[in-house]
Amino acid sequence: MREFRPRPSIAPAGVWAFPSPRRGRLSNGIELMIFDLPGQHVIAAHLVLDVPLNAERRDIEGVATMCARTLDEGTRRHNGEEFAELLETEGAGFGVDLSLAGLQIVLDVPASHLERALELFAEAVIEPSLTDRDVNRHVQLRLAEIEQAQANSAQTASMAFRAAVFDETTRAARMSGGEPDTVRQVTPDAVTAFHHDHFGPSGATLVLAGDFAEDPIAVAERCLGSWQNEDQRQVSIQEATPGRRHTLLVDRPGAVQADVRFGSFGIDRLDPRWAGISVASYAMGGAFLSRLNSVLREEKGYTYGVRMNFGPLRTGGSFAVQGSFRTDVLVDALAATRDLIKVDAVPFTSQEVNDAVAFFTGVSPLRYATADGVADQAATQVLAGLPDDYVDRSLALLRSVTPEAATEAYGSVVHPDDLTLVVVGDAERLADPLRASGFEDLEVRTVVG
Amino acid sequence: MWGMTSGALTGLGYPIVQHTLDNGLRVISSPDHLAPSVAVNIWYDVGSRDEEEGRTGFAHLFEHVMFQGSAHVASGQHIALLQASGAVVNATTWFDRTNYFETLPTGGLDLALWLEADRMATLLDALTQENLDTQREVVKEEKRQRYDNVPYGNVMELLNTLTFPPDHPYGHTTIGSMEDLDAATLEDVHGFFRRHYLPNNAVLSIAGDVEPEDAFERADLYFGSLASGVKPPKPDNGSLPSLSGLPRVETSGKVPADAVYFSWRLPATGGKDFDALDLGLSILGHGQTSRLHKQLVRGNEHAEGTSASAMGLIGGNSFGFSYARSRDGVPPEQLEHEMAELIDQLLTDGPTEEELRRAKAQFERHWLHELARVDSRADALGEYATLHGDPHLINSRIAEITAVGSEEVRDAVREWLHPDQRATLIYRQQAS
Repeated sequence: MREFRPRPSIAPAGVWAFPSPRRGRLSNGIELMIFDLPGQHVIAAHLVLDVPLNAERRDIEGVATMCARTLDEGTRRHNGEEFAELLETEGAGFGVDLSLAGLQIVLDVPASHLERALELFAEAVIEPSLTDRDVNRHVQLRLAEIEQAQANSAQTASMAFRAAVFDETTRAARMSGGEPDTVRQVTPDAVTAFHHDHFGPSGATLVLAGDFAEDPIAVAERCLGSWQNEDQRQVSIQEATPGRRHTLLVDRPGAVQADVRFGSFGIDRLDPRWAGISVASYAMGGAFLSRLNSVLREEKGYTYGVRMNFGPLRTGGSFAVQGSFRTDVLVDALAATRDLIKVDAVPFTSQEVNDAVAFFTGVSPLRYATADGVADQAATQVLAGLPDDYVDRSLALLRSVTPEAATEAYGSVVHPDDLTLVVVGDAERLADPLRASGFEDLEVRTVVG
Repeated sequence: MWGMTSGALTGLGYPIVQHTLDNGLRVISSPDHLAPSVAVNIWYDVGSRDEEEGRTGFAHLFEHVMFQGSAHVASGQHIALLQASGAVVNATTWFDRTNYFETLPTGGLDLALWLEADRMATLLDALTQENLDTQREVVKEEKRQRYDNVPYGNVMELLNTLTFPPDHPYGHTTIGSMEDLDAATLEDVHGFFRRHYLPNNAVLSIAGDVEPEDAFERADLYFGSLASGVKPPKPDNGSLPSLSGLPRVETSGKVPADAVYFSWRLPATGGKDFDALDLGLSILGHGQTSRLHKQLVRGNEHAEGTSASAMGLIGGNSFGFSYARSRDGVPPEQLEHEMAELIDQLLTDGPTEEELRRAKAQFERHWLHELARVDSRADALGEYATLHGDPHLINSRIAEITAVGSEEVRDAVREWLHPDQRATLIYRQQAS
């Protein structure tokens, strides 16, 4: 017979802090952030460029993405395939990440190969070939990528939500990689001009994290310290502003599920309500037994999972309840969601707050245990204008959140009767029931593609 | 963590200590005190290959039931209690395994072990028809969301069917069919639990901020009194020969581009021939410098994307795959022909030394990433202990891959990727 033991209690968590970087500056002004992480043998390097996407001309949006994606297709020193071959021989991975606030160029490489890989990385950043053929191919591949996204229900929902929730005149309303009509206008000359005008050391930060085999500052100086661009133009970031409320059904005839986005314009990390909102969103739609998931998944079996996400931008942001539901329960699931997201009568409890704080505190050491985890967070902080000790500060702020503060922050941001709804699903089966269930202003759209 | 001689990697040195409890539960400890976190990972030696006829998808449905409570844990509380102690929690089911894992601050280790032990001992005490029915709906939603409502979502199922006979353990997907999910009963859950969820059919890995003696003591405290059982025999279909007769299927769907898929039967994972094929397929279709990408994406621009890879499996055979998606106006038959030519060329010439060096360097980075976190390291330990009988292999994988020579890659691709040995799937855009 098994001996029964009572449930063990939790011993207090060990002391942990986000690693502190060594700060420095290359001779051309590039800011350096070095994280020495013992045992992390794959070095992560993020070059953060202060190039917000609103630097793109409106009629050729997507040009920044085409430029970034063509960087590793060859350099003036190493043509075409030779460049990628040299980089891969070092065991390096090269990537780019574009967000509204700026651009990141990322290198992952085993520590013993850092210098050679960073030299190649610098070539790609400073003197890429950007040939006509490579740019034109990336334009075509981007158009094909958009077609793939439009064929995908969840991605269609996210695109439609983004376009609805931000004011249509702002860059935030459109895909980071550009929409078809502007991507088609991107020419090789435009890509070369974008690189010439916006890539340069001013405002750039190089984040390096890992267990270094040699002095990373000297390596960085040799590879990137002599980069100059006197023509570099700096553009300040455009603030995202809210769009008008929408109630949209995007038709996907015959779809067995409907994808839902139900939310609105939100707040950013510098907003004094951010800690309260973080706690509230975890309790509402982050935890496994969140208010939404415990009912819609665990009790009713309507979905594989439902979440409430807050996506902060440099200023402002967005939030949404999101999930996929089989077509015949969609209307019931939405009705339940509309009730569940109201907190006036059922404010957040101290148990919910404690659980959220324990979760965020507990997962941090794991999330930031690797070189890429730390470098990625540091780069995000640079782009969001946050201090080096942001993670520690925000955890401290979380610990001071009261149930009242969480409820108040939530109530001031989430207005359940004034949210934008996007449903991507079978309109023939969903349009009338949705209208009958209270979404009288439903607009049905057909996606061409 | 590793020794370097003249720039070459000789071997990793992650500490690994093993101990088997009296009831047969294998416990593996890998101490690492860099962060105050610990990863707990249980591999049960059961996957979709162990499913019975008419019950495809059951191993995965069962995984969901494992979160529905046990004698001392209410439904849903397994994850809730762990998350509230700062844990990342999940589970996965695959052809060869079901794994359950959580990574959390060290002070929660006892709770994690207690929860895992409670469900290993007493899952059936809490099982109800209602819980089973709800999770069946959740799993069906998962199938819709990840397969049925996604472009090309049925490719895996079509390739499984093309590559293995219907009654073969790998002849069906892990997600299974709606009909079989509907047919699953409480009795099935009882039988499956009693047969497979035994301490002597599991490996418990504990990686992170705890010393081996301590880890073993705690494992014994919570799992030591569980009764062992008869370890179920694994399905034994031997090693099937390569495909013959060039099986071929054409299908169409609401997809944005035509696509061509090849699949092959490969040898089981765990030997040099599989590693050689893994490198060979990587040279063919992994990354920007692979032959498929260079020729079809970058060169003649006939494809918007290409890939090739080996999926390692333990039961006699593994899978090999390759695909290409057409650019506008390029007929899939043309892509098929061009892919076949590139494969033939690899068979004829073998890889260049440069290509092989690149493929090995990419493997090295991938493997170092894999072991860099305690959670993925614990999972790798469970995998190598369960499928290959030796967790220490995680420290020698890079050396093993480094030791594969270009002739071995050439010989392996000639033996296993011969033009007569593949299956073909043509996926066409449905006329709208």
